[in-house]
Amino acid sequence: MLISTLLPLLALPFAWAASSADTRQKLVDLSVAGNGVIRLSDPKTFDLLTSPNRNWSAAVHLTALDKRRRCTPCKEFDPSWNVVAKAWASVPQEHRYDHFFATLDFDEAPTVFQQLGLTSAPVVYVYPPAQGPRAASGKTAPSKYDFSSGFDAGPLAESLSRHTPVPIPYRDPFDWAGLITGVAGLLGLALLVRFVGPIFQNRWTWAAVTIITSLVMTGGYMFTRIRQSPYTGGGGNWIAAGYQNQFGQEVQVVALIYGTLSFSFLMLMLIVPYQTSPSRQRVQIYLWTGVIFLVFSVLISLFKVKNRGYPFKLLL
Amino acid sequence: MSRAYPLPTNLSSSTVTNTASLVRIVALGLISGAAIASRLFAVINFESIIHEFDPWFNYRATRVLAAKGFYEFWNWFDPTAWYPLGRVVGGTVYPGLMATSGVIYNVLHALNLPVDIRNICVLLAPGFSALTAWATYMFTTEMKDSSAGLLAAAFIGIVPGYISRSVAGSYDNEAIAIFLLMFTFYLWIKALKLGSALYGTLAAIFYFYMVAAWGGYAFITNMIPVHALVLMLMGRYSTRLYVGYCSWYAIGTLASMQVPFVGFQPVRTSEHMGALGVFGLLQLVAFAQLIRSHLSSKQFQNLLAIAVVSIGVLGALGFVFLTYKGWIAPWTGRFYSLWDTGYAKKYIPIIASVSEHQPTAWPSFFMDLQSLVFIFPAGVILCFRQLRDEHVFVIIYAVVASYFAGVMVRLMLTLTPVVCVASAIAFSTLLDTYIDPTEPEVPEEGKENADGKAKETGGSAALAAVSDIVAATTTEAAAGSSKTKTAPKPKVKGIWGLDTRFLVVVNAIGMLCFFVMHCTWVTSNAYSSPSVVLASQNPDGSQHIIDDFREAYYWLRQNTPQDAVVMSWWDYGYQIAGMADRPTLVDNNTWNNTHIATVGKAMSSPEEVAYPILRKHDVDYVLVIFGGLLGYSGDDINKFLWMVRIAQGVWPDEIQEPNYFTPQGEYRVDERASPAMRNSLMYKMSYHRFSELFGGGQAVDRVRQQNMPKQGPTLDYLDEAFTSENWIVRIYQVRDEDVLGRDLKSANAFTAGKKRKRTKPASRRRAIQQ
Repeated sequence: MLISTLLPLLALPFAWAASSADTRQKLVDLSVAGNGVIRLSDPKTFDLLTSPNRNWSAAVHLTALDKRRRCTPCKEFDPSWNVVAKAWASVPQEHRYDHFFATLDFDEAPTVFQQLGLTSAPVVYVYPPAQGPRAASGKTAPSKYDFSSGFDAGPLAESLSRHTPVPIPYRDPFDWAGLITGVAGLLGLALLVRFVGPIFQNRWTWAAVTIITSLVMTGGYMFTRIRQSPYTGGGGNWIAAGYQNQFGQEVQVVALIYGTLSFSFLMLMLIVPYQTSPSRQRVQIYLWTGVIFLVFSVLISLFKVKNRGYPFKLLL
Repeated sequence: MSRAYPLPTNLSSSTVTNTASLVRIVALGLISGAAIASRLFAVINFESIIHEFDPWFNYRATRVLAAKGFYEFWNWFDPTAWYPLGRVVGGTVYPGLMATSGVIYNVLHALNLPVDIRNICVLLAPGFSALTAWATYMFTTEMKDSSAGLLAAAFIGIVPGYISRSVAGSYDNEAIAIFLLMFTFYLWIKALKLGSALYGTLAAIFYFYMVAAWGGYAFITNMIPVHALVLMLMGRYSTRLYVGYCSWYAIGTLASMQVPFVGFQPVRTSEHMGALGVFGLLQLVAFAQLIRSHLSSKQFQNLLAIAVVSIGVLGALGFVFLTYKGWIAPWTGRFYSLWDTGYAKKYIPIIASVSEHQPTAWPSFFMDLQSLVFIFPAGVILCFRQLRDEHVFVIIYAVVASYFAGVMVRLMLTLTPVVCVASAIAFSTLLDTYIDPTEPEVPEEGKENADGKAKETGGSAALAAVSDIVAATTTEAAAGSSKTKTAPKPKVKGIWGLDTRFLVVVNAIGMLCFFVMHCTWVTSNAYSSPSVVLASQNPDGSQHIIDDFREAYYWLRQNTPQDAVVMSWWDYGYQIAGMADRPTLVDNNTWNNTHIATVGKAMSSPEEVAYPILRKHDVDYVLVIFGGLLGYSGDDINKFLWMVRIAQGVWPDEIQEPNYFTPQGEYRVDERASPAMRNSLMYKMSYHRFSELFGGGQAVDRVRQQNMPKQGPTLDYLDEAFTSENWIVRIYQVRDEDVLGRDLKSANAFTAGKKRKRTKPASRRRAIQQ
């Protein structure tokens, strides 16, 4: 602990001793060696990069890629970071070394994490220049990148471009896989129409599609899609608490209940009247009426879980 | 034919028809009465008052219309809204609602019935719900018969999904729009069935009324073309379709362009391109039909193949070109967010922030539709069984509307009519089948098997039933097709016995009664709150009215100068304009994102940053809604993150959302709140002097369930001017600049005697004296 607090202090004289130009050259070398990303393997380099009299800006990516840390988001984000840094390496010489990309791994320099008071990863800090023409309004405190738009490279590049001397020339790679899937899908569809065309002309195919769509939609599928709710709550709990909330599994259960009830009504209307034997018909009528009553009771009790103030109930 | 129960035989058929039509009229009258009555809970529980937010603007505009006439209303420039920009009301409003109330007002006054304009506005929605019930009756009658129509009318009359937007006092565009929607659809179906240009024109006229009344008219603009397109794809092109569609499209589009707010959109925006494209396609198909009647089939096929390919390519290229040149505008944001559901949150937080634009969870569907939600798929299947042209419409409507209702809560309103229609078809088929007294003959083989199969278990009955489905559908298809295949044996249809009928009918009636109870409960408990006036219960169960909003708005009206500018979050803009009659910076007509972001920035910045903004906009009073004392969860602190997000969209360098969370990522307002949160103007105004209220005890925020620090925030640039009884509304006056030119913070410190410099010399002096 003592060492960890002292280390930055030890590093300070280095930062001042080396003139700004020297430091810069060192960083440029590191950056070239790391393929556009400076590998901050010790706290000293970190302090060098973020020295208080820097006239460059820097984006530091603090992560924990080691397998033991089990940081899935870190692994997810790492490629996006490297791609954006690589895109920066293609800007003209005069701007390229006014901004640095750096990566710092927790296992290589845990003291920096402590120094910054970080308990989670990945984190991206952007250090604006403290001196020179780009030092705007004396703001030297780093700003944190907001991961609310996901781990994709596009938003990252867009957001970082606000801090770099020229916008980062990053472009989303062309989605070849998507194109190929699309074309293959179209071809497959054409073949399918060719060979199983009659299925598409059958009204009951369309009826099935229509009914399944309505059931899934009224089961709240779009809610789980848009809110990205989990499939279950964990620990066998599959009903989300609260009236305006639900889990993925509820869509299936509710759609199934609706479907069963719908189906029972259809049986009563379409099949039962065409029976040829009175006793068989009677059994079916009792059966389907019972199913409707029971399943409806289940549905009401399920709804009572969601809306506790609901005053009605059937069987359950 | 034997009968399950006896029928009177001494009735002439004309008596039966006459009685049936009388019963129908009486039933429709009762349904209208029920529809109106169930919407009056709001008036009885509270009072005759305009509800919520948007209705307050509509009410204010209607008052201008009634007092000054239509011409003045049309040219009305409102300088008090969006201060200092102002708003051209006549050109930025759907005038249908106000015009309707204006006409009713003038007619009643011409009849020497001096009704107050407010009561007309309050009762307009219930009145139109009776008309909606009638329009739904007509529509469903076209689908099946008048008994299904009556059921549909009863359903739509009381279903909560529609009541939620049409209780008395909910004076919003939807109040009349659902009637117009259903009636336009009815006229369209009629035009299609008869091939009548008259009905097509009528549909166009009501379409025009709809365009003038509600932005949701785009739903009709796309539903009818999709229906026409699907009919053509099914090979059901007919001259009836041609006449109906063309008369509707041509007249309807020209008429809709007369509404100033719509203008040239019908030929320039993507929402309307579908209708135009189908119109063009219909001309091509009609032309092809004409050519076909003059050419041999071989020549025609070649010609058709070439023509279809080249026209398709040309059309697609033309569309791309026009979009590229910017002559056709892309989808508007609100419309686009329906398809790409992540779009709104990313690019237009202002749309995503509105609570009625949230996706719908399944309990809301069940709450709004109850048993209809699972009966309606059965009705859709019945439509598939017959599949006449008009049934295709119901099917498309059902799919499209259930998707939309899933994406946005407010679009539940468009799903509700089709659910009522389809479930009425299903229910009435069920009742038809089981009330019909005729019993089929018992076939010989059936009789023999009857004893053997009596002990059949449920599972095998189901299996047998599934195999029967296939048989039933194939017989239907065989009967439908013109090629008369010799069907194996026409099956007798009917029900044996009285107990079976009784069971099913009682079950059905039980479900209907349950539905009525559910609707009454939901309407009285969930959908009748005006949200201007809140209700709570006293310990003895009696109702306690919380009237903080009106208290505060009337305070503003009576204690501030007429031109005092009030700043608040945009939700309350219309209410302030309507009830307090004071200029506002932003209101619910969210047309200027930057202006709203400015208010968001002022609210989420520290006082020193916010003060220049307030001064620049001549703000005299700032109004915040605070629910922490009462536990009112719809307050500004809960909306605060949206203010931050919207401000961040315009000033990403100055306002950053993560700063308002604790390092652990929690949204807190207590001692652990982040510095940005604690310094923000909104936080300070909400919790100013809050802890004093607890007299030294632990101050608790009842909405967020957090303990507040003993030392509350202090304000330097604002003075508390008014706080309502339950602290829901708090109004602050913006201080004038200091007369000596100091910034207000140091001026305050000076008057409070906390001058920094003074402490040290004083102590020194004391040291010398001693």
